[in-house]
Amino acid sequence: MLTQVTAAISEHTAPLASDTQRVLAIGGILLIASGMLFGDIFAMFALHPNNARIGAAMYTAAGLIPTGDVDGILAQFMAIGGFLEFRGTKVDTHSHIIHMGYIALLLAMLQPWVALSPRVRHRTAWLFILCAALMPPAIFAIHYVGLAYSPLQDIGWASIFADLFGALLALATVINLYGLWRHVGGRGDGGGTPTYINAVGSGAGRAASRILLVGGLLLLVSGFLYGAGLALYHQFNSAPTEVDILKSIVTAAAAGDRAALDAAFGAFGNFQMLRAINVASHTHINEMGILLLLVSFVQAFVQYPEATRKRWAKLAVVGAFGLPAGILLEIPYGIVGSVIADSAGFLVIVSLMAMLFGLLRYTGASDAGTGGVA
Amino acid sequence: MSRAQRILVLSGVLLLAITMAFGVGYAIFDEHQTLVGMGEQMAGGFMAAADGDMAAAFVAFDNFGAMGAEYSLEIHSHGHWGMLALILIILGLLIERTGLSEARAVALAWLLALSAILFPLGVILQIGPAATLGKALAVPASAGMVLGLLIAAWCLAKNRT
Repeated sequence: MLTQVTAAISEHTAPLASDTQRVLAIGGILLIASGMLFGDIFAMFALHPNNARIGAAMYTAAGLIPTGDVDGILAQFMAIGGFLEFRGTKVDTHSHIIHMGYIALLLAMLQPWVALSPRVRHRTAWLFILCAALMPPAIFAIHYVGLAYSPLQDIGWASIFADLFGALLALATVINLYGLWRHVGGRGDGGGTPTYINAVGSGAGRAASRILLVGGLLLLVSGFLYGAGLALYHQFNSAPTEVDILKSIVTAAAAGDRAALDAAFGAFGNFQMLRAINVASHTHINEMGILLLLVSFVQAFVQYPEATRKRWAKLAVVGAFGLPAGILLEIPYGIVGSVIADSAGFLVIVSLMAMLFGLLRYTGASDAGTGGVA
Repeated sequence: MSRAQRILVLSGVLLLAITMAFGVGYAIFDEHQTLVGMGEQMAGGFMAAADGDMAAAFVAFDNFGAMGAEYSLEIHSHGHWGMLALILIILGLLIERTGLSEARAVALAWLLALSAILFPLGVILQIGPAATLGKALAVPASAGMVLGLLIAAWCLAKNRT
C-alpha cells in the first residue's frame, strides 16, 4: 500500500498514477460520454414530440373554455403535468450525469493535494463514482415510479433515492475538501501544481492540448458574454411575458375568437421555443468550454501519435462549437439546426471515447512496465 | 499550492459541496411543491376562465408567473454555483500558467472567487424582501466574473511557456 506522501508524489507526475485517480478520471469520462449520448437520444426522439404534446393538450384545454368543461380542462392539465415531468426529469438526468463527470475529472486532478490516506481517498472516489452513476437513473425513474408506495405526500421513492445519492455525493466532496484543507494546513507533501498540468505547454500532447485550451477558453468567454447579454435582454425587453400571453389565450378562448386564439398560441409557442433555446445555448457553450479545458490537461497521456491526438482534439473542438451553434440555428432553420446540434454532440462523444481509449492504452502500457508518457 | 491556487481550489470545492447540499435540500423541501403549485395555478386559471371568472383567472396566472420566476431564480442559483465552482477549480489548476505575479494572481483569484460566490447568491436573494440587495450583488458580481475570466483567458493565451 502506498503511503500518503509517495502516492501524492506519483500523482503529481501522472494523472492516472493511482487507482483513486483512475476511478475518478475514467469514471468521469464515462459519465460525461454517457450523459452526452443520453442528451442526443433524448433530443432526437423525445424532446420535440413531447413539446408538441404539451402544446396540443393546452390548445385542447383552451378550446374547452367556452363550453365551461372544467373537468375536461383539468384532465388536459393533468396530462400536461405528466409531459412536463417527463421532460424535466430527462433534462435533469442529462445535466446531472455530465456535471458529476466533470466533478469526478476535477477531483482526479486534485488528488495530489488531498492530504488523506490512499485508502480513504480510494473509498471516497468509489463512493463518488457509484453515487454519480446511480443518481441520474434515480432522477430518470421519478416520472415512472411516481408516488407509488411513497411514505411522503409529494415525493416518491425515486426522488428519495436521488436525494440520498445527492447527499452522499456532497459528503464525498466534503471529504475531499477536508483533505485539501489538511494539505493547505501543511499535512500534505507540500507539492505544487501537478507537473502534467504545467507541462501542457511543452512535450508530448502539446499541440493537442493547446487546441483544446484555446477552444475551451473561447467557448467559456462566449458563454459568459452570452449569459450577460441574455440577462440584459430580459431586464430591458418589452415583449409580452408568459403571463401576458396566457391571459390573451384565455381571453380569446372565452370570446370564441379562434383567430386570436391561434395567434396567442403562436406567440406562446414562440416564447417557449426562444426561452428553451437561449437557456440550452448558454448552458451548452459553457459546458463544452469546461469539457475542452478538462481534456486539455491529460493530452500528454493519450497514447496516440501526435497527429492522431491533434485530429481528435480538433474534432472535439469542432463538435463543441457545433453543438451550441446548432441549437441556436434551430431558431431560423428548425430541424436542420437540431440535426447539426445532434451530429456535433455525437462528434464530441466519439472524440471523448477516442481520448479515453488513448488513456487506457497509456495505463495498460504503464502497468505492464513498458509505457510512459506517450 | 500557491496562495492563488488555495483561494480558487478551496472556494471551488467548498462551493461545490454547498451547491450539492442546496440542491438536495431544495429538491426535498421546495422543488416538487413549487412545480405542483405552478401546475395548479395554471390549470386554475383555465378553469376559472371556463367558469367565466376572468378576474380570478388573471390572478391565477399572476401567481403562476410569480412562482415560475421564483423557481427560475432558484434553479439558476443552483446551476450557476455548480458551473462557476468547476471554473474556479480549473482556473486554480491553470493559474500558474497565466504568468501573473503572485500578488496579481492572488487579486485575480479573489475577484473570481468572490464573484462566483456572490453572483448566484445575488440571484437567489432576488426572491423575497432582499430583492434590491440581490440585484445590487448579482450585477457587479456577474461583471466581476466576466472580467476575471477575460483576464485569465488573455493571460493564458498570451503566455505560451
